Amino acid sequence: MDTVNDIDELDRQLRDAAPYIDDAGFTRRVMATLPSPGVRRQRVRAAILLSITVLASLLAYVLSGGGRFVGESVMRIGQLGPLGLLYGAAAFALLITGLGVVAFLSRDRDLRVGVWSRN
Amino acid sequence: MELTDADLVARVLVDEDQHAFGELVRRHQSSVRGLLRQLTRTDFALADDLAQEAFLKAYKHIRSFRGEARFSTWLYRIAYNVFREDARRKKELVGIDEDVLQAEQDPSTVDPGLRQDLMHALSLLPLHERTAVLLCCQSGLSHDEASRVLDIPLGTVKTNVLRGREKLKKTLAAWATN
Repeated sequence: MDTVNDIDELDRQLRDAAPYIDDAGFTRRVMATLPSPGVRRQRVRAAILLSITVLASLLAYVLSGGGRFVGESVMRIGQLGPLGLLYGAAAFALLITGLGVVAFLSRDRDLRVGVWSRN
Repeated sequence: MELTDADLVARVLVDEDQHAFGELVRRHQSSVRGLLRQLTRTDFALADDLAQEAFLKAYKHIRSFRGEARFSTWLYRIAYNVFREDARRKKELVGIDEDVLQAEQDPSTVDPGLRQDLMHALSLLPLHERTAVLLCCQSGLSHDEASRVLDIPLGTVKTNVLRGREKLKKTLAAWATN
């Protein structure tokens, strides 16, 4: 009958006898054989986003009285003085810059999330 | 903070994140390849091919992993099944002749170091005992986990581990006296 010490010693020797096997490109080979990630899911996501955008645009068009507000807005902008135009352009530039920064940070976050998987 | 296996599996499931799956492969490749190298009697090329196939199957069927067991246990089960399928294909499992296989092992090739002795002694065990010993004693699975991996009753696992250990000790003791 085995004593507890005998069993522990044999198990320890067995664990010690199992060397760590270096990856040596194994993971890369496995990754190369994986099927490409869900194209179908991406298509569904794109279709949903597109549908929502189209619906929202139609709703906005109907609620705004057939888009009359666009023409009115252009007229108002045309009546603005030089200082008003300057402020308007600055605000627009700030908005675009802000959106760009948000997009960059979002992309950077994704890259940082991916760092652990390469270590 | 390092993500757990469960976190990585969740990322694969939700986002189909292949980087997350890559991390799982990196974490478990050594133990899976080690197990298969022992099962294939140190045929490294075959073991690596089988390990690659096992990981590919794991990726394709990851939705069937429900988190009831450890990810490594689930992975061992896939790897063992891949090995069995391959062995069955080659007629090495069904109607296996253990005497012939054991005769193929040349005692004169045994290296003097304990580590080599132990691994060689392990390779002399019959497949069912070798697998049980590898999973329970080397990979640290509980008897219950091993019974799930091997899909055999718990009592059979315990018997195989006990017999395998006894044979290992006898073989090592015999070599030590020579």
